[in-house]
Amino acid sequence: MCQRFICVVLLSLLSGGVLAVEGKLQPSVMWDYFHQRLLNNADFVFDERVQVHVPPFAEDARQVPVEVDARSLSGQVSKMMLWAELNPIPQVLNLYPSDQLEKFLAVRIRVEQATPIYAALLMDDGVWHVGSAFIEATGGGCSAPSVVRAEEGWESRLGQVFGSRFMAGDHSRLRLRVSHPMDNGLVGAIPEFYVNHAQLNDGNGEVLARLDLFSAVSENPTITLHVKGKPQTHWWLRDNNGNEFTAYMP
Amino acid sequence: MRWMLLICAGVLFSLNLWAYELKPEKIAENTYLVEGLTDNFSVENGGNVVNAAFVVTEAGVVVIDTGPSFSYGRALRSAIAEVTEQPVVQVFLTHHHPDHALGNQAFADVPIAALAGTQKLLQEQGDHMAENMYREVGDWMRGTEVQFATHIVGAEVINIGGHPFQLFVFTGHTGADLVLLDQRTGVLFAGDMLFYQRALATPNSPSLKTWLTDLERLQALPWRVIVPGHGPLAKDEQPFVQMHDYLTWLDRSLSDAARQGLDMNQVLRLPIPEQFASVNLTRYELIRTVSHLYPKYEQQQWQRIDQ
Repeated sequence: MCQRFICVVLLSLLSGGVLAVEGKLQPSVMWDYFHQRLLNNADFVFDERVQVHVPPFAEDARQVPVEVDARSLSGQVSKMMLWAELNPIPQVLNLYPSDQLEKFLAVRIRVEQATPIYAALLMDDGVWHVGSAFIEATGGGCSAPSVVRAEEGWESRLGQVFGSRFMAGDHSRLRLRVSHPMDNGLVGAIPEFYVNHAQLNDGNGEVLARLDLFSAVSENPTITLHVKGKPQTHWWLRDNNGNEFTAYMP
Repeated sequence: MRWMLLICAGVLFSLNLWAYELKPEKIAENTYLVEGLTDNFSVENGGNVVNAAFVVTEAGVVVIDTGPSFSYGRALRSAIAEVTEQPVVQVFLTHHHPDHALGNQAFADVPIAALAGTQKLLQEQGDHMAENMYREVGDWMRGTEVQFATHIVGAEVINIGGHPFQLFVFTGHTGADLVLLDQRTGVLFAGDMLFYQRALATPNSPSLKTWLTDLERLQALPWRVIVPGHGPLAKDEQPFVQMHDYLTWLDRSLSDAARQGLDMNQVLRLPIPEQFASVNLTRYELIRTVSHLYPKYEQQQWQRIDQ
Protein backbone atom coordinates (compact mmCIF):
# COMPACT_ATOMS: atom_id res chain seq x y z
CA MET A 1 0.00 0.00 0.00
CA CYS A 2 2.71 2.35 1.13
CA GLN A 3 4.80 1.32 -1.85
CA ARG A 4 2.01 2.07 -4.28
CA PHE A 5 1.38 5.39 -2.64
CA ILE A 6 5.00 6.43 -2.97
CA CYS A 7 5.10 5.35 -6.60
CA VAL A 8 2.05 7.42 -7.31
CA VAL A 9 3.49 10.39 -5.51
CA LEU A 10 6.78 10.08 -7.34
CA LEU A 11 5.08 9.73 -10.70
CA SER A 12 2.91 12.74 -10.12
CA LEU A 13 5.81 14.80 -8.84
CA LEU A 14 8.12 13.91 -11.64
CA SER A 15 5.77 13.40 -14.53
CA GLY A 16 7.54 16.05 -16.59
CA GLY A 17 10.78 14.11 -16.98
CA VAL A 18 11.87 10.84 -18.53
CA LEU A 19 10.84 9.08 -15.40
CA ALA A 20 8.96 5.89 -15.04
CA VAL A 21 8.77 3.54 -12.12
CA GLU A 22 9.56 0.21 -13.71
CA GLY A 23 11.11 -1.73 -10.92
CA LYS A 24 10.17 -2.55 -7.39
CA LEU A 25 10.59 0.23 -4.90
CA GLN A 26 11.16 -0.63 -1.26
CA PRO A 27 8.75 1.01 1.14
CA SER A 28 10.85 4.04 1.95
CA VAL A 29 10.40 7.01 4.20
CA MET A 30 13.51 8.80 3.04
CA TRP A 31 13.63 8.36 -0.70
CA ASP A 32 12.97 12.04 -1.37
CA TYR A 33 15.70 13.05 1.05
CA PHE A 34 18.34 10.85 -0.52
CA HIS A 35 17.15 11.69 -4.02
CA GLN A 36 17.86 15.29 -3.19
CA ARG A 37 21.04 14.86 -1.14
CA LEU A 38 22.83 12.09 -3.03
CA LEU A 39 21.36 12.23 -6.51
CA ASN A 40 20.94 16.02 -6.65
CA ASN A 41 17.28 15.66 -7.65
CA ALA A 42 18.44 14.28 -10.99
CA ASP A 43 16.29 12.09 -13.21
CA PHE A 44 16.02 8.51 -12.05
CA VAL A 45 14.24 5.28 -12.75
CA PHE A 46 13.65 2.26 -10.56
CA ASP A 47 15.10 -0.47 -12.69
CA GLU A 48 14.72 -4.19 -12.09
CA ARG A 49 17.97 -4.76 -13.90
CA VAL A 50 19.75 -3.17 -10.95
CA GLN A 51 19.58 -6.10 -8.58
CA VAL A 52 20.55 -5.53 -4.99
CA HIS A 53 20.96 -8.76 -3.06
CA VAL A 54 21.15 -9.02 0.70
CA PRO A 55 20.25 -11.90 3.02
CA PRO A 56 16.65 -11.69 4.33
CA PHE A 57 18.06 -10.94 7.80
CA ALA A 58 21.39 -9.83 9.22
CA GLU A 59 22.91 -12.71 11.15
CA ASP A 60 25.82 -10.41 12.02
CA ALA A 61 24.84 -6.74 11.75
CA ARG A 62 28.53 -5.80 11.67
CA GLN A 63 29.15 -7.85 8.52
CA VAL A 64 26.17 -7.75 6.20
CA PRO A 65 26.93 -8.88 2.66
CA VAL A 66 25.54 -6.63 -0.07
CA GLU A 67 25.76 -7.51 -3.75
CA VAL A 68 24.90 -5.19 -6.62
CA ASP A 69 24.45 -6.98 -9.92
CA ALA A 70 23.46 -4.87 -12.93
CA ARG A 71 25.13 -6.97 -15.58
CA SER A 72 21.93 -7.17 -17.61
CA LEU A 73 21.93 -3.37 -17.94
CA SER A 74 23.60 -2.16 -21.13
CA GLY A 75 25.47 1.10 -21.45
CA GLN A 76 28.29 2.68 -19.52
CA VAL A 77 28.09 3.52 -15.81
CA SER A 78 29.93 6.66 -14.75
CA LYS A 79 29.10 6.41 -11.06
CA MET A 80 27.44 4.05 -8.66
CA MET A 81 26.24 5.06 -5.19
CA LEU A 82 25.32 2.61 -2.48
CA TRP A 83 23.57 3.55 0.75
CA ALA A 84 21.66 2.02 3.67
CA GLU A 85 18.75 4.34 4.22
CA LEU A 86 18.22 4.10 7.98
CA ASN A 87 21.86 3.86 9.02
CA PRO A 88 23.39 6.63 11.15
CA ILE A 89 26.04 6.69 8.42
CA PRO A 90 23.93 5.85 5.38
CA GLN A 91 26.51 6.15 2.61
CA VAL A 92 28.48 2.96 1.97
CA LEU A 93 30.51 3.70 -1.12
CA ASN A 94 30.72 5.44 -4.48
CA LEU A 95 32.19 3.52 -7.37
CA TYR A 96 33.59 5.16 -10.51
CA PRO A 97 34.09 2.29 -12.94
CA SER A 98 35.91 2.21 -16.26
CA ASP A 99 34.47 0.32 -19.21
CA GLN A 100 36.71 -2.60 -18.24
CA LEU A 101 34.60 -3.28 -15.18
CA GLU A 102 31.55 -5.53 -15.14
CA LYS A 103 28.49 -4.04 -13.48
CA PHE A 104 28.96 -6.08 -10.33
CA LEU A 105 30.11 -5.27 -6.84
CA ALA A 106 29.99 -7.05 -3.50
CA VAL A 107 30.89 -5.50 -0.17
CA ARG A 108 30.14 -6.13 3.53
CA ILE A 109 28.54 -3.35 5.50
CA ARG A 110 27.31 -2.45 8.97
CA VAL A 111 23.62 -1.90 9.65
CA GLU A 112 22.28 -0.28 12.79
CA GLN A 113 18.69 -1.42 12.25
CA ALA A 114 16.46 -3.02 9.65
CA THR A 115 16.76 -0.84 6.56
CA PRO A 116 16.23 -0.50 2.84
CA ILE A 117 19.49 -0.55 0.89
CA TYR A 118 19.81 1.32 -2.38
CA ALA A 119 22.16 1.15 -5.32
CA ALA A 120 21.95 3.94 -7.92
CA LEU A 121 23.86 3.74 -11.18
CA LEU A 122 24.35 6.87 -13.26
CA MET A 123 24.21 5.68 -16.87
CA ASP A 124 25.39 7.41 -20.01
CA ASP A 125 21.78 8.46 -20.70
CA GLY A 126 22.17 10.80 -17.71
CA VAL A 127 19.57 8.93 -15.67
CA TRP A 128 20.13 7.22 -12.34
CA HIS A 129 19.02 3.59 -12.50
CA VAL A 130 18.05 2.52 -9.01
CA GLY A 131 17.64 -0.86 -7.37
CA SER A 132 16.91 -1.70 -3.78
CA ALA A 133 16.58 -4.45 -1.19
CA PHE A 134 15.45 -4.67 2.39
CA ILE A 135 17.33 -6.29 5.26
CA GLU A 136 15.79 -7.31 8.55
CA ALA A 137 18.13 -6.75 11.48
CA THR A 138 18.08 -6.75 15.24
CA GLY A 139 20.70 -4.13 14.69
CA GLY A 140 23.48 -2.47 16.55
CA GLY A 141 26.07 -3.15 13.87
CA CYS A 142 27.28 0.45 13.72
CA SER A 143 27.58 0.94 17.46
CA ALA A 144 28.97 -2.46 18.44
CA PRO A 145 32.55 -2.52 19.77
CA SER A 146 35.22 -3.27 17.21
CA VAL A 147 36.18 -6.91 16.77
CA VAL A 148 39.49 -5.90 15.21
CA ARG A 149 40.52 -3.67 18.12
CA ALA A 150 39.83 -6.51 20.56
CA GLU A 151 42.48 -8.62 18.84
CA GLU A 152 45.92 -8.24 20.30
CA GLY A 153 48.48 -6.66 17.98
CA TRP A 154 45.92 -5.41 15.46
CA GLU A 155 48.06 -2.31 14.82
CA SER A 156 50.84 -4.46 13.41
CA ARG A 157 48.38 -6.04 10.98
CA LEU A 158 46.90 -2.73 9.86
CA GLY A 159 46.79 -2.54 6.09
CA GLN A 160 47.58 -6.17 5.42
CA VAL A 161 45.73 -7.12 2.25
CA PHE A 162 44.49 -10.60 1.47
CA GLY A 163 42.83 -11.56 -1.73
CA SER A 164 42.88 -13.47 -4.94
CA ARG A 165 41.79 -13.50 -8.54
CA PHE A 166 39.26 -16.10 -9.64
CA MET A 167 38.68 -16.63 -13.34
CA ALA A 168 35.05 -17.06 -14.35
CA GLY A 169 34.68 -17.38 -18.12
CA ASP A 170 36.28 -14.38 -19.78
CA HIS A 171 36.38 -12.20 -16.71
CA SER A 172 38.24 -12.09 -13.41
CA ARG A 173 36.61 -11.98 -10.01
CA LEU A 174 38.88 -9.81 -7.92
CA ARG A 175 38.38 -10.26 -4.21
CA LEU A 176 40.25 -8.55 -1.43
CA ARG A 177 40.12 -7.86 2.26
CA VAL A 178 42.08 -5.12 3.99
CA SER A 179 42.89 -5.40 7.69
CA HIS A 180 41.48 -2.19 9.11
CA PRO A 181 39.17 -1.38 12.07
CA MET A 182 37.09 1.11 10.00
CA ASP A 183 36.22 3.10 13.13
CA ASN A 184 33.11 5.13 12.45
CA GLY A 185 33.28 7.48 15.44
CA LEU A 186 30.17 5.97 17.05
CA VAL A 187 31.92 3.61 19.45
CA GLY A 188 33.64 4.40 22.75
CA ALA A 189 34.97 7.87 21.89
CA ILE A 190 37.23 6.38 19.23
CA PRO A 191 37.46 8.94 16.41
CA GLU A 192 36.78 8.10 12.80
CA PHE A 193 39.56 6.02 11.32
CA TYR A 194 38.68 4.28 8.10
CA VAL A 195 39.78 3.54 4.56
CA ASN A 196 38.14 6.23 2.45
CA HIS A 197 39.75 5.82 -0.96
CA ALA A 198 40.66 2.90 -3.17
CA GLN A 199 41.83 2.65 -6.73
CA LEU A 200 42.30 -0.31 -9.02
CA ASN A 201 44.81 0.04 -11.88
CA ASP A 202 45.85 -2.38 -14.59
CA GLY A 203 49.48 -3.21 -15.43
CA ASN A 204 49.78 -0.16 -17.70
CA GLY A 205 48.61 2.22 -15.02
CA GLU A 206 45.16 2.65 -16.55
CA VAL A 207 42.47 3.19 -13.93
CA LEU A 208 39.98 0.31 -13.85
CA ALA A 209 37.94 1.66 -10.94
CA ARG A 210 37.97 4.27 -8.22
CA LEU A 211 36.08 3.97 -4.94
CA ASP A 212 35.11 6.43 -2.21
CA LEU A 213 34.45 4.41 0.92
CA PHE A 214 32.52 5.46 4.00
CA SER A 215 32.65 4.08 7.50
CA ALA A 216 29.44 2.12 6.99
CA VAL A 217 31.73 -0.40 5.31
CA SER A 218 32.49 -3.24 7.74
CA GLU A 219 35.79 -3.58 9.52
CA ASN A 220 38.34 -5.46 7.50
CA PRO A 221 36.64 -4.23 4.31
CA THR A 222 35.88 -7.08 1.94
CA ILE A 223 35.27 -6.09 -1.67
CA THR A 224 34.60 -8.06 -4.84
CA LEU A 225 34.78 -6.54 -8.33
CA HIS A 226 34.56 -8.20 -11.72
CA VAL A 227 36.92 -7.03 -14.41
CA LYS A 228 36.96 -8.03 -18.08
CA GLY A 229 39.79 -10.30 -19.20
CA LYS A 230 42.78 -11.02 -17.03
CA PRO A 231 44.75 -7.81 -16.60
CA GLN A 232 47.44 -7.47 -13.96
CA THR A 233 45.91 -5.42 -11.18
CA HIS A 234 47.34 -3.03 -8.65
CA TRP A 235 45.33 -1.85 -5.67
CA TRP A 236 45.97 1.41 -3.91
CA LEU A 237 44.10 2.26 -0.71
CA ARG A 238 44.28 5.18 1.67
CA ASP A 239 42.65 5.83 5.05
CA ASN A 240 41.57 9.17 6.50
CA ASN A 241 44.78 9.31 8.56
CA GLY A 242 46.83 9.29 5.37
CA ASN A 243 48.07 5.70 5.63
CA GLU A 244 48.52 4.22 2.17
CA PHE A 245 48.37 0.55 1.34
CA THR A 246 49.16 -1.12 -1.95
CA ALA A 247 48.58 -4.63 -3.22
CA TYR A 248 49.26 -6.50 -6.41
CA MET A 249 47.35 -9.30 -8.09
CA PRO A 250 49.46 -10.84 -10.88
CA MET B 1 -21.76 -6.79 24.04
CA ARG B 2 -21.13 -8.33 27.42
CA TRP B 3 -21.63 -11.78 25.90
CA MET B 4 -19.15 -11.00 23.19
CA LEU B 5 -16.58 -10.02 25.77
CA LEU B 6 -17.22 -13.17 27.73
CA ILE B 7 -16.87 -15.28 24.62
CA CYS B 8 -13.64 -13.51 23.69
CA ALA B 9 -12.30 -14.00 27.21
CA GLY B 10 -13.30 -17.63 27.12
CA VAL B 11 -11.55 -18.20 23.80
CA LEU B 12 -8.42 -16.47 25.04
CA PHE B 13 -8.48 -18.49 28.23
CA SER B 14 -8.92 -21.78 26.41
CA LEU B 15 -6.05 -20.92 24.09
CA ASN B 16 -3.98 -20.80 27.25
CA LEU B 17 -1.67 -18.13 25.90
CA TRP B 18 1.89 -18.16 27.15
CA ALA B 19 1.65 -21.56 28.74
CA TYR B 20 3.86 -24.37 27.50
CA GLU B 21 2.12 -27.67 27.07
CA LEU B 22 4.85 -30.17 27.77
CA LYS B 23 4.05 -33.83 27.38
CA PRO B 24 6.81 -36.16 28.57
CA GLU B 25 6.96 -39.36 26.56
CA LYS B 26 8.52 -42.50 28.01
CA ILE B 27 11.33 -43.61 25.72
CA ALA B 28 13.21 -46.15 27.87
CA GLU B 29 13.28 -47.51 31.40
CA ASN B 30 12.77 -44.52 33.77
CA THR B 31 13.54 -42.17 30.89
CA TYR B 32 11.33 -39.45 29.40
CA LEU B 33 11.65 -37.15 26.42
CA VAL B 34 9.96 -33.73 26.22
CA GLU B 35 10.06 -33.17 22.49
CA GLY B 36 9.99 -29.67 20.99
CA LEU B 37 9.11 -28.49 17.50
CA THR B 38 11.67 -28.39 14.71
CA ASP B 39 10.71 -24.79 13.93
CA ASN B 40 12.50 -21.53 14.57
CA PHE B 41 11.81 -19.44 17.67
CA SER B 42 8.56 -17.53 17.38
CA VAL B 43 6.02 -15.61 19.41
CA GLU B 44 3.63 -18.49 18.70
CA ASN B 45 5.81 -21.30 20.03
CA GLY B 46 7.58 -19.50 22.86
CA GLY B 47 10.87 -21.08 21.85
CA ASN B 48 9.63 -24.59 22.55
CA VAL B 49 11.78 -25.91 19.72
CA VAL B 50 14.15 -27.98 21.80
CA ASN B 51 14.27 -31.43 23.34
CA ALA B 52 14.55 -31.71 27.10
CA ALA B 53 14.73 -35.06 28.88
CA PHE B 54 14.71 -36.51 32.34
CA VAL B 55 15.53 -39.79 34.08
CA VAL B 56 13.66 -40.88 37.19
CA THR B 57 16.30 -42.64 39.29
CA GLU B 58 15.99 -44.15 42.76
CA ALA B 59 17.88 -41.15 44.11
CA GLY B 60 15.73 -38.56 42.38
CA VAL B 61 15.21 -37.05 38.94
CA VAL B 62 18.05 -36.11 36.60
CA VAL B 63 17.16 -33.40 34.06
CA ILE B 64 18.99 -32.84 30.80
CA ASP B 65 18.59 -29.24 29.59
CA THR B 66 16.14 -26.72 31.02
CA GLY B 67 14.60 -25.09 27.93
CA PRO B 68 14.33 -21.58 26.52
CA SER B 69 12.73 -19.61 29.38
CA PHE B 70 11.97 -19.46 33.10
CA SER B 71 8.38 -20.27 32.23
CA TYR B 72 9.45 -23.36 30.25
CA GLY B 73 11.60 -24.47 33.18
CA ARG B 74 8.63 -24.21 35.51
CA ALA B 75 6.42 -26.09 33.05
CA LEU B 76 9.08 -28.78 32.77
CA ARG B 77 9.15 -29.18 36.55
CA SER B 78 5.37 -29.48 36.64
CA ALA B 79 5.47 -32.06 33.88
CA ILE B 80 8.07 -34.04 35.85
CA ALA B 81 5.93 -33.82 38.98
CA GLU B 82 3.05 -35.42 37.09
CA VAL B 83 5.24 -38.40 36.25
CA THR B 84 6.91 -38.94 39.59
CA GLU B 85 6.92 -37.75 43.16
CA GLN B 86 10.72 -37.98 43.25
CA PRO B 87 12.46 -34.62 43.64
CA VAL B 88 14.75 -33.25 40.96
CA VAL B 89 18.31 -33.84 42.21
CA GLN B 90 20.55 -32.98 39.28
CA VAL B 91 20.49 -30.89 36.09
CA PHE B 92 22.95 -31.28 33.24
CA LEU B 93 23.32 -28.62 30.55
CA THR B 94 24.49 -30.00 27.22
CA HIS B 95 25.68 -26.55 26.09
CA HIS B 96 25.14 -22.84 26.64
CA HIS B 97 22.66 -21.98 23.88
CA PRO B 98 19.56 -20.11 25.08
CA ASP B 99 17.01 -22.76 24.11
CA HIS B 100 18.82 -25.27 26.34
CA ALA B 101 19.88 -23.22 29.35
CA LEU B 102 17.47 -20.34 30.00
CA GLY B 103 15.09 -22.49 32.04
CA ASN B 104 17.77 -22.78 34.76
CA GLN B 105 15.99 -20.41 37.15
CA ALA B 106 13.27 -23.00 37.69
CA PHE B 107 15.98 -25.32 39.02
CA ALA B 108 17.70 -22.82 41.29
CA ASP B 109 17.46 -25.26 44.22
CA VAL B 110 19.16 -28.07 42.30
CA PRO B 111 22.83 -28.58 41.36
CA ILE B 112 23.27 -27.54 37.72
CA ALA B 113 26.26 -29.14 36.02
CA ALA B 114 27.97 -28.04 32.82
CA LEU B 115 31.35 -28.15 31.13
CA ALA B 116 33.84 -25.42 32.09
CA GLY B 117 33.68 -24.16 28.50
CA THR B 118 29.89 -24.00 28.66
CA GLN B 119 30.04 -21.94 31.84
CA LYS B 120 32.50 -19.52 30.22
CA LEU B 121 30.33 -19.12 27.10
CA LEU B 122 27.25 -18.62 29.25
CA GLN B 123 29.06 -15.85 31.14
CA GLU B 124 30.26 -14.21 27.93
CA GLN B 125 27.17 -14.57 25.76
CA GLY B 126 24.28 -15.39 28.10
CA ASP B 127 22.85 -11.91 28.50
CA HIS B 128 23.08 -11.14 24.81
CA MET B 129 21.39 -14.45 23.95
CA ALA B 130 18.63 -13.82 26.50
CA GLU B 131 18.01 -10.34 25.08
CA ASN B 132 17.71 -11.86 21.65
CA MET B 133 15.20 -14.42 22.94
CA TYR B 134 13.05 -11.63 24.36
CA ARG B 135 13.05 -10.11 20.88
CA GLU B 136 12.24 -13.41 19.19
CA VAL B 137 9.51 -14.84 21.41
CA GLY B 138 8.34 -11.90 23.51
CA ASP B 139 6.28 -12.32 26.64
CA TRP B 140 7.06 -16.01 27.06
CA MET B 141 10.42 -14.84 28.36
CA ARG B 142 8.97 -12.78 31.19
CA GLY B 143 11.19 -12.92 34.27
CA THR B 144 13.88 -14.96 32.53
CA GLU B 145 17.46 -14.21 33.50
CA VAL B 146 20.66 -16.05 32.84
CA GLN B 147 21.58 -18.42 35.61
CA PHE B 148 24.99 -20.07 35.56
CA ALA B 149 25.86 -23.66 36.31
CA THR B 150 26.72 -24.48 39.91
CA HIS B 151 29.05 -27.40 39.18
CA ILE B 152 31.66 -28.01 36.54
CA VAL B 153 31.92 -31.50 35.09
CA GLY B 154 34.21 -33.14 32.55
CA ALA B 155 34.67 -36.54 30.91
CA GLU B 156 33.69 -38.80 33.81
CA VAL B 157 31.07 -41.27 34.99
CA ILE B 158 28.50 -39.93 37.44
CA ASN B 159 26.33 -42.55 39.11
CA ILE B 160 22.94 -41.32 40.25
CA GLY B 161 20.42 -43.72 41.77
CA GLY B 162 21.50 -46.76 39.79
CA HIS B 163 21.99 -44.91 36.50
CA PRO B 164 25.67 -44.52 35.60
CA PHE B 165 25.85 -41.48 33.32
CA GLN B 166 28.96 -41.46 31.20
CA LEU B 167 29.89 -37.90 30.21
CA PHE B 168 31.68 -37.09 26.95
CA VAL B 169 33.20 -33.81 25.88
CA PHE B 170 32.88 -32.68 22.27
CA THR B 171 33.44 -29.34 20.54
CA GLY B 172 31.77 -29.50 17.12
CA HIS B 173 28.61 -27.51 17.84
CA THR B 174 29.71 -24.78 20.28
CA GLY B 175 33.27 -25.56 21.37
CA ALA B 176 31.93 -27.09 24.62
CA ASP B 177 29.36 -29.80 24.06
CA LEU B 178 28.40 -32.29 26.74
CA VAL B 179 26.97 -35.64 25.67
CA LEU B 180 25.59 -38.12 28.21
CA LEU B 181 25.24 -41.86 27.78
CA ASP B 182 23.11 -43.63 30.35
CA GLN B 183 24.97 -46.93 30.64
CA ARG B 184 21.95 -48.62 32.15
CA THR B 185 19.47 -47.85 29.38
CA GLY B 186 21.76 -47.06 26.47
CA VAL B 187 20.04 -43.72 25.94
CA LEU B 188 22.36 -41.18 24.35
CA PHE B 189 21.52 -37.60 25.26
CA ALA B 190 23.35 -36.03 22.34
CA GLY B 191 22.44 -32.38 22.87
CA ASP B 192 22.96 -30.32 19.73
CA MET B 193 25.81 -32.49 18.59
CA LEU B 194 22.90 -34.16 16.78
CA PHE B 195 20.16 -32.34 14.92
CA TYR B 196 17.63 -34.63 13.24
CA GLN B 197 15.12 -33.46 10.60
CA ARG B 198 16.13 -29.92 11.54
CA ALA B 199 19.08 -28.10 10.01
CA LEU B 200 22.10 -27.78 12.24
CA ALA B 201 23.07 -24.39 13.64
CA THR B 202 26.65 -23.09 13.69
CA PRO B 203 26.87 -19.85 15.73
CA ASN B 204 29.80 -21.06 17.85
CA SER B 205 31.03 -24.03 15.83
CA PRO B 206 34.84 -24.14 15.57
CA SER B 207 34.51 -25.80 12.13
CA LEU B 208 32.37 -28.23 10.21
CA LYS B 209 35.33 -30.62 9.93
CA THR B 210 35.66 -30.67 13.73
CA TRP B 211 31.98 -31.53 13.94
CA LEU B 212 32.38 -34.33 11.38
CA THR B 213 35.29 -35.80 13.35
CA ASP B 214 33.28 -35.60 16.58
CA LEU B 215 30.38 -37.30 14.87
CA GLU B 216 32.42 -40.43 14.16
CA ARG B 217 33.42 -40.67 17.81
CA LEU B 218 29.83 -40.13 18.89
CA GLN B 219 28.43 -42.75 16.55
CA ALA B 220 30.89 -45.35 17.86
CA LEU B 221 29.48 -45.13 21.40
CA PRO B 222 27.34 -48.07 22.59
CA TRP B 223 23.99 -46.26 22.32
CA ARG B 224 20.62 -47.94 21.88
CA VAL B 225 18.34 -44.90 21.82
CA ILE B 226 19.24 -41.44 20.53
CA VAL B 227 17.83 -38.20 21.91
CA PRO B 228 18.94 -35.45 19.51
CA GLY B 229 18.97 -31.82 20.67
CA HIS B 230 16.32 -31.04 18.08
CA GLY B 231 14.09 -33.44 16.19
CA PRO B 232 12.50 -36.83 16.81
CA LEU B 233 13.83 -39.72 18.82
CA ALA B 234 15.73 -42.41 16.93
CA LYS B 235 16.72 -45.99 17.58
CA ASP B 236 18.85 -46.43 14.50
CA GLU B 237 21.76 -44.58 12.96
CA GLN B 238 19.60 -42.32 10.77
CA PRO B 239 20.44 -39.11 12.69
CA PHE B 240 24.15 -39.84 12.23
CA VAL B 241 23.71 -40.55 8.53
CA GLN B 242 21.74 -37.36 8.01
CA MET B 243 24.18 -35.25 10.02
CA HIS B 244 27.16 -36.72 8.21
CA ASP B 245 25.65 -36.16 4.77
CA TYR B 246 24.51 -32.67 5.63
CA LEU B 247 27.79 -31.55 7.20
CA THR B 248 29.72 -33.03 4.29
CA TRP B 249 27.53 -31.23 1.76
CA LEU B 250 27.80 -27.97 3.67
CA ASP B 251 31.58 -28.19 4.02
CA ARG B 252 32.04 -29.06 0.37
CA SER B 253 29.67 -26.34 -0.84
CA LEU B 254 31.44 -23.64 1.14
CA SER B 255 34.87 -24.87 -0.01
CA ASP B 256 33.80 -24.99 -3.64
CA ALA B 257 32.20 -21.56 -3.42
CA ALA B 258 35.33 -20.03 -1.91
CA ARG B 259 37.44 -21.68 -4.59
CA GLN B 260 35.27 -20.09 -7.30
CA GLY B 261 35.53 -16.71 -5.62
CA LEU B 262 31.83 -16.37 -4.80
CA ASP B 263 30.69 -13.70 -2.40
CA MET B 264 28.36 -14.46 0.51
CA ASN B 265 25.10 -13.60 -1.23
CA GLN B 266 25.90 -15.99 -4.04
CA VAL B 267 26.66 -18.74 -1.53
CA LEU B 268 23.49 -18.38 0.49
CA ARG B 269 21.46 -18.77 -2.71
CA LEU B 270 23.08 -22.10 -3.60
CA PRO B 271 20.59 -24.90 -4.27
CA ILE B 272 19.92 -27.27 -1.37
CA PRO B 273 19.97 -30.92 -2.46
CA GLU B 274 16.65 -32.73 -2.69
CA GLN B 275 17.87 -35.36 -0.20
CA PHE B 276 17.52 -32.79 2.58
CA ALA B 277 13.92 -31.90 1.71
CA SER B 278 12.70 -33.49 4.95
CA VAL B 279 15.08 -31.36 7.02
CA ASN B 280 13.44 -28.25 8.41
CA LEU B 281 15.02 -24.75 8.17
CA THR B 282 17.85 -25.64 5.79
CA ARG B 283 17.80 -22.29 3.94
CA TYR B 284 17.58 -20.31 7.16
CA GLU B 285 20.52 -22.11 8.70
CA LEU B 286 22.55 -21.93 5.49
CA ILE B 287 22.18 -18.15 5.59
CA ARG B 288 23.42 -18.13 9.18
CA THR B 289 26.26 -20.57 8.53
CA VAL B 290 27.53 -18.48 5.62
CA SER B 291 27.79 -15.56 8.03
CA HIS B 292 29.50 -17.66 10.73
CA LEU B 293 31.92 -19.77 8.76
CA TYR B 294 32.35 -18.61 5.15
CA PRO B 295 35.05 -16.02 6.00
CA LYS B 296 37.29 -18.89 7.13
CA TYR B 297 36.78 -20.69 3.83
CA GLU B 298 37.53 -17.48 1.93
CA GLN B 299 40.70 -16.94 3.91
CA GLN B 300 41.99 -20.35 2.83
CA GLN B 301 41.72 -19.32 -0.81
CA TRP B 302 43.38 -15.95 -0.45
CA GLN B 303 46.99 -14.92 -0.38
CA ARG B 304 48.70 -12.03 1.27
CA ILE B 305 49.01 -9.55 -1.59
CA ASP B 306 50.08 -6.25 -0.04
CA GLN B 307 53.44 -4.81 -0.99
